[in-house]
Amino acid sequence: MGDVQTAEKVKLKVLHAGSLTEPMKELEKIFEERNPEVDVQLEAAGSAKTIRKVTELDREADVVASADYSLIPHMMYPKYANWTIRFASNQIVIAYLDDSKYSNEINQDNWYEILRRGDVKFGFSNPNDDPCGYRSQMVIQLAELYYNDSSIYDDLVASNSNLKFVEKDGNYILEMPESENINPNTEKLMIRSMEVELIYGIEEGEIDYYFIYRSVAKQHNHKFVELPDEIDLSNESFSDKYSKIKVILANGKEVSAKPIIYGITIPKNAPNKEYAEKFVKLVVSKEGREVFEKLGQPPVKAFADFPENLPESLKDI
Amino acid sequence: MKLSTIFALLSSILVLFVILPVFSTFTTQFSDLNGLVQTFQDYDVWRTILFTAYAAFLSTLFAVLFGTPLAYTLARTEFPGKNVVSGVVDLPVIIPHVVAGIALLSVFGSKGMIGSISPVKFVDALPGIVVAMLFVSAPFYINTAREGFQSINPRFEQVARTLGATQFKVFFTVTIPLTWRHIAAGALMSWARAISEFGAIVIIAYYPMVASTLIYDRFLNSGLQASRPISILLILFSLSVFITIRVLLWNGRKNESS
Repeated sequence: MGDVQTAEKVKLKVLHAGSLTEPMKELEKIFEERNPEVDVQLEAAGSAKTIRKVTELDREADVVASADYSLIPHMMYPKYANWTIRFASNQIVIAYLDDSKYSNEINQDNWYEILRRGDVKFGFSNPNDDPCGYRSQMVIQLAELYYNDSSIYDDLVASNSNLKFVEKDGNYILEMPESENINPNTEKLMIRSMEVELIYGIEEGEIDYYFIYRSVAKQHNHKFVELPDEIDLSNESFSDKYSKIKVILANGKEVSAKPIIYGITIPKNAPNKEYAEKFVKLVVSKEGREVFEKLGQPPVKAFADFPENLPESLKDI
Repeated sequence: MKLSTIFALLSSILVLFVILPVFSTFTTQFSDLNGLVQTFQDYDVWRTILFTAYAAFLSTLFAVLFGTPLAYTLARTEFPGKNVVSGVVDLPVIIPHVVAGIALLSVFGSKGMIGSISPVKFVDALPGIVVAMLFVSAPFYINTAREGFQSINPRFEQVARTLGATQFKVFFTVTIPLTWRHIAAGALMSWARAISEFGAIVIIAYYPMVASTLIYDRFLNSGLQASRPISILLILFSLSVFITIRVLLWNGRKNESS
């Protein structure tokens, strides 16, 4: 009996960025409780890959959510979508555990002094492979400007690897070497390809601190130092400040620092528009916002770039 | 149809199955000879490959040092629990290599049973790479050497013993010379297996970077076109070492029999 029902259910395909996995799972539960005739099918991948599933692989999707809202207009307009709602943010934090060295001392004002100490080890992911990795470099470089201490990046990263920011007309550019050439001093730095690989590094006690998204730290019950808005890539009103920092990846791609803001849209070819709208509505509702808050992805005021293109049912957000 | 014809047919399917992907890797590269030449001249790529070969060499040394007595014991003596020990030897072949990496980390990591008391650092260091390589490649050596020991008649050893030679002397002057080809072949297999390891190594040591990590990393951030020439370089390098040693062994055999 149950099987028959499952077979007849409407399948709502939600393609989303990997870092949205936990909140999306909760929203799926809430949504299915309320709409028992719907089976929400979540599919996680990197943001760019998620969008390419629709634009290049011609996959039918009802909802697309990206960790970088700007990818939706950039990659999907005008053929596959024509609006984006920004709904949540994230930020880079320095996560740690109780038995990390000096964990009782570290705070927003002294974290770079603590990381400088000879017996402290910390980690970040490979900027060539992972956005969290290049964002971590941006944060550390922004710290130099914010704390007015021009040797933070040098002491923490440059003197322990081949990574180095060069100033040019008030902008700071990090030209990434090829990965085999990063040459980290592994007595001080732990680098892994992807940010989630650092989790075992901290849990096995290899490192004391690591640069990570707030949501990941929270979902793994790691403690974390929240950094000032001016440097942690969370706040849109500091976009201009952030944009002074640039990383050129080894594959030639250039990325400028910008706030980490999630965006969501319904592709034009969505098979179940009505439920898709309901789902997006749940994401931006008070209830949805609470889910994101709880899981460490602070919601931002829902904001649509082209409100006139929104479906009727979403116009009142 | 004759049995031999059927066998030849079936065999060639498997041979083709192995050869095709390698062949296609090479032929696809022909359209980008420039990329291949550039990679051949890339000092850092060579450094990574030679470093990997060196780590694999160390791993093989350990495999021979500790694996030879084990292989000999398994070949020559009966003892309770021998089947269990044989099973343990094959264990690394059975478990996924990522799992092996995690298991090794829990022993050799900073808080691990050995890592916490060892003056040598394993995580993100050469010793970590060597233990990961040793774990996955030791069975290849032990099993080949064991076959070698099993293939010689124990009577040779008994005769030497009755002539008054000590056990040590018999082992080094009778047993080893009779099995050295198996030992060399096993060591070579073990070395090659160590060079090609990725899953276990990347968990315990992303840096210093080994060749397979480099290839995967290049694939991840620059795509197939950028990682292919490095793969070819690694294949050519490993293959030339492999063939050189094989030819030396084969020639040795020919000279002996003539």
